Amino acid sequence: MSEPLDLPLRGQAAAIAAGDVDATELLEAALARIDERNPAINAVVETFPERSREMLAAAPAGPLHGVPVVIKDEWPLPWRAQRFGAADMLARTAPGESGPYRALRDAGAVIVGVGNMHELGAGSTGNVSVYGPARNPWNPERCPGGSSSGPAAAVAARLVAGAVGADGVGSIRYPATYCGLTGLKPTFGRSAMDGHHMASLSTTIVSGPLCADAGDCRLLGSVLYGEELGAGDAAGLRIGVIEDEVSEDVAPAVRVACEKAIEDLRAATGGDVRMIELPELATATLATVLIANSESLGGVTPQRLNNLDPELSPLGRGLLKYRLMLPAVAAVKAHQLRTMARQRLAEVFEEVDVIAWPTVPAVAPPLEAPLVELPSGTLTADAANVRGGALANLTGIPAISVPVGSSEGLPVGLQLQAAWGRDELLLDAAEALEGANGRRWVEAAPPAAAEPTGV
Amino acid sequence: MEASGSADDFIPAALVAFGVEADEIELAVMRAAHELLWPPILELLSLDTGSSASEPAPDLSQAPPRR
Repeated sequence: MSEPLDLPLRGQAAAIAAGDVDATELLEAALARIDERNPAINAVVETFPERSREMLAAAPAGPLHGVPVVIKDEWPLPWRAQRFGAADMLARTAPGESGPYRALRDAGAVIVGVGNMHELGAGSTGNVSVYGPARNPWNPERCPGGSSSGPAAAVAARLVAGAVGADGVGSIRYPATYCGLTGLKPTFGRSAMDGHHMASLSTTIVSGPLCADAGDCRLLGSVLYGEELGAGDAAGLRIGVIEDEVSEDVAPAVRVACEKAIEDLRAATGGDVRMIELPELATATLATVLIANSESLGGVTPQRLNNLDPELSPLGRGLLKYRLMLPAVAAVKAHQLRTMARQRLAEVFEEVDVIAWPTVPAVAPPLEAPLVELPSGTLTADAANVRGGALANLTGIPAISVPVGSSEGLPVGLQLQAAWGRDELLLDAAEALEGANGRRWVEAAPPAAAEPTGV
Repeated sequence: MEASGSADDFIPAALVAFGVEADEIELAVMRAAHELLWPPILELLSLDTGSSASEPAPDLSQAPPRR
């Protein structure tokens, strides 16, 4: 057997259940590996070995019994308040039980650490955080993606086999792509969200799994959903693709890899590829940004903005202050655009089962200057990435990012989106795609995970 | 009257109106955000969506009611 920590999430769970792996030894190995590998990637910002040992001692015989996992710095734990990657998050927080924590605990999982994240969840790159940036295990000078930067980097570096992220505007799918993982953004409302400081306000954020492959996302997702995400069949999959200015503004190598993956998926499922029109996509991005940013303004007052923690990054301070200037009329119109996009998508999903396009238009950019080169020119990664990530958050539909290739030694991801409640179909399609490419990309390991190690 | 997209006009005026202070770095961040967001916001504001229905309390876990 390979190192137990290198087994997939479901492999670890099965090995513990079968008595082939000792859960205590696995936990200690995970903590040791975090000590060994984490300094280079800053994925895990806090461990609490005694708390983890207590969780294991009390772990019920659930589907993740004894399996170590990481959770994003976005939910409270009974012994730790979330910091949202920021020195000042304009919200009251306190230690407590969140929905994802309870789901993990009740499944028998052991939380071994808190994952880094982009400050305030306000970026797709992960290069800004009160803890310092997380680094991409494929190349530590590149962005790991955000905002679930730490959970993704932790799984990619094989510190753990599964992590819980959150996706408010692509924040599971971007880091999944940059780090070569599978990341599932659930249908709005299907996964555990209570205890999040914006749970009663946000209409875009969901919790979701980041794992190496779809099988592991199915297992961890089932825990977060509180229901089994059963395996089905993607046979005859009708794949929708869009040809428009934005969808085609993609780095050539990313485009080639995604086009091949779409053809592989079509062939593997015996399905077909259909061109679809979605003009609402052009306005979906702005609508999402306006809604997501205005929903988080409840704690904002001029007085608080004038007394922000000086450790909050200049970027965070500037963006918080700029949010105050967003016109209310634009927010109202954004909600109308949301309705229009939802209505159009409902029609589209009568014609196709999934919509496919690159998760992000270029591979992970440098940490120091997160810019991407696209056919239209040089863009900030945030401006480029949001174009592909926003629609699912705006409308509530589920989406998944699947690794499908490599460029410059960095992973490329394909995004599949499906109709409301068809999360299982996305996992089925992702598994079909894995089968079609011989699991080449889900089993690829970055240098940071391939170093000789005793744990 | 022409719409002003100029960050140099808009941001300082808005900050004064709201009573919010900002240093030079924060102003630079706000200018960058403004240059990115303001053109599409103006485009959005120019859309007459008065006859477009908006789901009053959309259930985002499901498809919208059929039109």
